[in-house]
Amino acid sequence: MNFLTPAFLFGALALALPVVLHLIRRRTRERLPFSSLLFLSPTPPRLTKRSRLEDLLLLLLRCLALALLTFGFARPFLKNPSVAEPVSGQPRRLVVLVDRSASMQRAGLWSAALAQAADILGHTTPGDQVAVLAFDHEVNRLVSFEDWQAAPPGDRAALARGKLEALKPGWGATQLGTTLIAAAEMVTEAEVQQATPLRQIVLLSDVQEGGRLEKLQAYDWPKNLQLLVPPLKAKSPGNAGVQIVAEAADTSLTNSAVRVRVSNAPEATQEQFQVGWAEAGDTFVGPASDVYVPPGQSRVVALPLPPPAAPGVPPTRRVQLRGDDEPFDNVAYVIPPEPTTLRVLYLGADAAGDARQPLFFLRRALPDSPRQRVTLDARTGQAALSAGDVAAAGLVLVTGALSAPTAGLLREAALAGKTILFAPVNAAAGAPLATLLGVAALPLREATVKNYAMLAELDFEHPLFAPFADPRFSDFTKIHVWKHRVLDWASVPSARVLARFDSGSPALAEVPVGRGRVIILTTGWQPEDSQLALSTKFVPLLLSLLDYAGATAGLAPAQPLVGEPLALRAGGQQVMLPDGTSVALAAGATNFTGTTQPGFYRVEGGGAPQWFAVNLDPNESRTAPWSADVFETYGIGTANPLAAAPASALRKTQLQAAESESRQKLWRWFLLATLLVLLIETALAGWTARRALPTEATA
Amino acid sequence: MTASTTNPATKFIDPKALMNIRNLELRARAVVEGFWSGIHRSPYHGFSVEFTEYRQYTPGDDPRYVDWRVFGRSDRFYIKKFEDETNLRCHLIVDQSRSMDFASAGVTKAQYAATLSATLAWFLHQQGDAIGLLSFDAGVREYLPARHRPGHLRHLMLALEQPAGGTATDLVTPLRRVAEIVRKRGLLVLVSDFLTPLENLDRCLTTLAAAGHELTVFQVLDPAELNFGFDQPTLFEDLESGRTLFVDPQAVRTSYIQKLEAHCQAVRDLCQKLGAHCHRLTTDQPLELALFDFLRERTQRRHVARARNGGSR
Repeated sequence: MNFLTPAFLFGALALALPVVLHLIRRRTRERLPFSSLLFLSPTPPRLTKRSRLEDLLLLLLRCLALALLTFGFARPFLKNPSVAEPVSGQPRRLVVLVDRSASMQRAGLWSAALAQAADILGHTTPGDQVAVLAFDHEVNRLVSFEDWQAAPPGDRAALARGKLEALKPGWGATQLGTTLIAAAEMVTEAEVQQATPLRQIVLLSDVQEGGRLEKLQAYDWPKNLQLLVPPLKAKSPGNAGVQIVAEAADTSLTNSAVRVRVSNAPEATQEQFQVGWAEAGDTFVGPASDVYVPPGQSRVVALPLPPPAAPGVPPTRRVQLRGDDEPFDNVAYVIPPEPTTLRVLYLGADAAGDARQPLFFLRRALPDSPRQRVTLDARTGQAALSAGDVAAAGLVLVTGALSAPTAGLLREAALAGKTILFAPVNAAAGAPLATLLGVAALPLREATVKNYAMLAELDFEHPLFAPFADPRFSDFTKIHVWKHRVLDWASVPSARVLARFDSGSPALAEVPVGRGRVIILTTGWQPEDSQLALSTKFVPLLLSLLDYAGATAGLAPAQPLVGEPLALRAGGQQVMLPDGTSVALAAGATNFTGTTQPGFYRVEGGGAPQWFAVNLDPNESRTAPWSADVFETYGIGTANPLAAAPASALRKTQLQAAESESRQKLWRWFLLATLLVLLIETALAGWTARRALPTEATA
Repeated sequence: MTASTTNPATKFIDPKALMNIRNLELRARAVVEGFWSGIHRSPYHGFSVEFTEYRQYTPGDDPRYVDWRVFGRSDRFYIKKFEDETNLRCHLIVDQSRSMDFASAGVTKAQYAATLSATLAWFLHQQGDAIGLLSFDAGVREYLPARHRPGHLRHLMLALEQPAGGTATDLVTPLRRVAEIVRKRGLLVLVSDFLTPLENLDRCLTTLAAAGHELTVFQVLDPAELNFGFDQPTLFEDLESGRTLFVDPQAVRTSYIQKLEAHCQAVRDLCQKLGAHCHRLTTDQPLELALFDFLRERTQRRHVARARNGGSR
């Protein structure tokens, strides 16, 4: 006989209670008040056999009742070996997920994960199907189900162990959500061929808060799929990290300083850190700033940029954090931005310095920024233009009449991928449009505007107006238009109208030409035509146009993270990784995906070397573990996380026991027996008392 | 003299039922009235006004008692004398020690003794006699002089209703006190269980008897005290001293009964020696029987006394 809740057997200690009560009762009952002891002589106290036996019977009954009750509460059941055996040998379909993200580099974690994995693999039976996956931001199959099945049963665990031991935690970010979904699909995909009811995923991870579980929200976790999360503890709970603050591309880096964020884990013990520039190791070059970061908080520090290195000299300085025990996220790499030059070609008939002409406003609307220098190349449309001039320009603006060769040149450029904004100042200047669009003739005429026209029906889904999609910025009605032009849009069927006047006539339209496009603005921004240049929309619209034209593409130095691709310039031949190895690039490659470690990447070929600073995902620094029930909030059934494989076996037998107990329900009989014994006890006690009473009364 | 417990006294009130009457006075009245109704043709009716003798007047006699009719006939002064019954002074000496609190079946000896005393008091009071009371335990508790007054009976009942107390029974001290206080001859009724050593008791009683008092003794006992019908070995606790003694009743019953009987016999012998009557009552006997015994004994005694004194009283 076994017990489901053997702890209740401690209740048997209560058996001492009736014994004690019997002792107490005997003592109190013996006193009998009597009028006088004058004629009584003492007799030595001795117990007659009879009374002792009677009380003993009562005592036995009471003890028996208590014992039966205790047994009943302990939920006894008879083990049925014929049922229990096959279940304990039930084949499992098991996926072992090993986290190899950067946060696993913390002391003690990786060895604990390997030990757990070895433990789990050692407890597999030949009937089990096991797959071992390693994951960070992507999932690697170390041992697939097929590999496992193909290997001889004796070598399977060793095979998986060997694969795991060859592995080291990398630098990737943790994508726990996608990984779990992938593993769940992997476990359930081959369900048809073999009905194995026990499906498990063992997650060997530090389950850090930065692990991105959000994907699980939309995922319907399969039923009967258990997730076992054996806890892995780092030696020290604390961790501090340093990241480059990059809220927006334009503001993250200024010319003089870089802002870095120092974050500290909630359970950290250190609070005092130092941040500074270092070249190798953690010895600072130049002054370092002291940062006090209480546990669970973060501070932003502005570090002055080191003097810019000479062109071609590889950057070596990185931001180093000192005072933290876990070194994996204590370094941040940053490349001081180099201002880039942006050329805009303007073709118009403007007189220099005329405050009523479009160029006047254009010059003021394209200011220099720390990261880009705009060069406005203003010419008249009649002047000779070389193909190189056009190719160097990121954007071409046309407001005046063009000579035929220039128009042809622009047509060629548009076909090659250039974006041309065509905004004729008057109907006469609109003549080159036919050439640009490649149609026979496209006469423009001045529209008759009563009072003024307004912009309506803007296409906010177009990239040009996308920045204005927010209702706060989408009000264009303040811009009054006095003059605009109309043309026969039917002859340009490919035109996409981006904005119309309130009369219904198109104001802005995009006509694709070859790989490029011509954007036609039927009014001008100068005050003579409209209030556009004086409105708050003008500069954003212009910048939006520059972006749309691709003039700024590839210029902003991105801050890629580990695992993110690097956008390459054309002509790159090989990439030098931070550890000194080089990877040859395929011809025409536009990006490089092998960013497996943080550091400076150098892309050679195609002119001056291109530098990238690849950093660790800031989420990896959020090492505080999720609470144990986080998976349950996503509807994932978790098993007891305290022990993995042995625990699951124990759990199985427990379930088994609970099942057979609930089937047998032996406790009912014990309860019945208790009641019976209590009845007998009551009857006996009553009888004894009744028998004792008359003898005293008649005495 | 003891009324037999086997007497089929169906017309008498069961002591247990009687004790259900809370008021002692009512209880006493119930007994006495039951007694009256039980004995219709009482041979003792009107005995208190009985003529006894004539005596020659001597100077100093109260001229009230001169029988003027005889003087008119014979020209001599004669004093007409009556029995002194109506001026009987009765003192009830009641034991209220804690040993009287024992009860095996509902009625404690103290209750029984109080009811008995109250009954006697009521009865005598009805006859116009003066009743006094002295209650005692280890010493004298309360003393009420013999009086016949309205309200006196009430005081007496109140004194009798006092709960038993005291850690011992001392018979000698109250009897000595009675001898000191009660100078006039009278009737002394001693109600006790006599479960106390009897040393010096005979001297006291002798003193009282010599002083001319009539003595009547009621020994009130519980049936359980007489037959000691316990069978469980138990720790017996003395009600008065609190002393405990482990006793196996089966082993000591014979010796106990022997000792008790010897003790009672000693009491009886003592009474016999002094001419006093000793009645042993158990708490399951009807009280009317005790009253009946008492009256019969009184009559006998008067006849004996009259015979002994030669009518010269």
